[in-house]
Amino acid sequence: MTRLQKIKSFLSGFTMLIFAIILMLVPQDSYPIIILVISLGLIFYGLKILIYYFTMARYMVGGKNTLIKGVIILDFGFLAGSLTDVPAIYILMYLIIIHAFSGLVDILRVYESHKYGARSWKLQLIHGIVNIALAVICIIFIRNANTAVYIYCLGLIYSAIIRMITAFRKTTLIFIQ
Amino acid sequence: MQEDFHYYATYCAAYIAGYSHEESLDICYSAQFVDMCSRTLLSKLRGPLNAATTQLQLEMMDARTDMIGLQDITRIWSSFHFLPQNLYAKLKHRNKRYMNKYRLICGPNGDLLVKTIELAKDKSLQHIGIAMHVLADTWAHMYFAGTPSLVINNTNDYFYEISDNDEERKIKFRHNPGTPDDLEKLLYTNSLHQGKENSIMNLGHGRAGHLPDYSFIKYKYLPAWGEYEEIIKDNPSDYRKAFCQMIYAMKYLKGEIDNFETDKYDFEAIAEWESRIDMILRKRQLFACDDWKAFGEELSGKSIEDFDLEKYQSEYIDASKEQKNITFLGKFFDGAILQKSMVTSEIFKSGNILAGFAKSISSEGGAI
Repeated sequence: MTRLQKIKSFLSGFTMLIFAIILMLVPQDSYPIIILVISLGLIFYGLKILIYYFTMARYMVGGKNTLIKGVIILDFGFLAGSLTDVPAIYILMYLIIIHAFSGLVDILRVYESHKYGARSWKLQLIHGIVNIALAVICIIFIRNANTAVYIYCLGLIYSAIIRMITAFRKTTLIFIQ
Repeated sequence: MQEDFHYYATYCAAYIAGYSHEESLDICYSAQFVDMCSRTLLSKLRGPLNAATTQLQLEMMDARTDMIGLQDITRIWSSFHFLPQNLYAKLKHRNKRYMNKYRLICGPNGDLLVKTIELAKDKSLQHIGIAMHVLADTWAHMYFAGTPSLVINNTNDYFYEISDNDEERKIKFRHNPGTPDDLEKLLYTNSLHQGKENSIMNLGHGRAGHLPDYSFIKYKYLPAWGEYEEIIKDNPSDYRKAFCQMIYAMKYLKGEIDNFETDKYDFEAIAEWESRIDMILRKRQLFACDDWKAFGEELSGKSIEDFDLEKYQSEYIDASKEQKNITFLGKFFDGAILQKSMVTSEIFKSGNILAGFAKSISSEGGAI
């Protein structure tokens, strides 16, 4: 990782962390902001795919699919941005599905790792359990409008910390001559 | 390539090149060990993790595909299984990101192959085995890159097997790794399509399944990078060249030839067994171990033991810290680190950061 990439990784992690803390401090006003973030996220992701198509994938056999994918995601981004009044329950249902699915995948991987005798499965098991726990919390507090905000913020904080840790990971390969 | 070629065929090539039965066994053991030396195994042996020459499926599932993860994956797969053919290849209208991937496409007779063989000169038999694995894979894995890349390694469903009388039959793929390939129905397993450029599913020849690993098959397909031009992959012919180039390379390493040059093959050395080797290469079977083993045993008149992963492990584990580097596996690890460092350095020198960079230190520990 170059120095610029390290700085970029750290700054994006730090920004996410600050953003998550602000949202947690004002949960009652957070829904429009979360929708805005999801909308912007989809728009940027769609644009990223389109840039990927025009710079790389258009040379690829079957690259047209990438163009179609980019246009559809961009369209979803604009659609999400146009929604002004979304009931919190839909956001909670979205979070329940995402966390339950991620947790299930993590636990299945742990099961397979364990079967093959691999050692490094404990951290992944914790990830799986935390994800399932978050999904359960969403279900329990489905009537509490602020729950979605806190769950969303926890996810952001986790991603932010991973990004900041990544910026400090070693990249050097040492060899003997 | 699989155990049949990396272990048994490499034994045959080493013996034909003039190595003794015992030396040939050490060389072919090391060649096959390249496919086994994962970080999981190294952590069990308490060996140097930098010496990893492969990744288990589980390790890859957990591998991150950020820049650090990509560099780690690329170092391993480009150094040992997909040696880049031309790090300075040129194409019009492509950006740097595309070219960094394109230049890692594997192929035979590149400058890095010469450096790989020269690096193994006057080194251990283990290092020779590693070099033979790398050389053989340049033939089997050509047209694919040892880095995750959709735009390079992707394929579509356009795959046809070409028979000896030029008859074409459609090849079908499925995604069930637990089920063996069905040679009669032309039903093969490949990796799932993943639309993300750096998905681990887009590493190497995963999208073409095990087709590059079977010596008998001749097929045509459309590589992602090929601008809709068909490529015909003639494995029997390529594997024959790989075998004869291994003999030539090992004669050089043994000191019988002064220089190693690209595009040279010792066809004369196999003239006596031409039809036998051709028969093994063209036989439709998932594994050709038995045929290569029988051929090798006829050559040397001695029994070739099956590959045993545990064979040298206790010797390494029980050795003291000072003695570890003179054990069989210790020498293998030294050779692997040297090879990985050389390839990483060359990729970095070409202005490509996809494999990261190698920092050199002297054997006494001082920085160079």
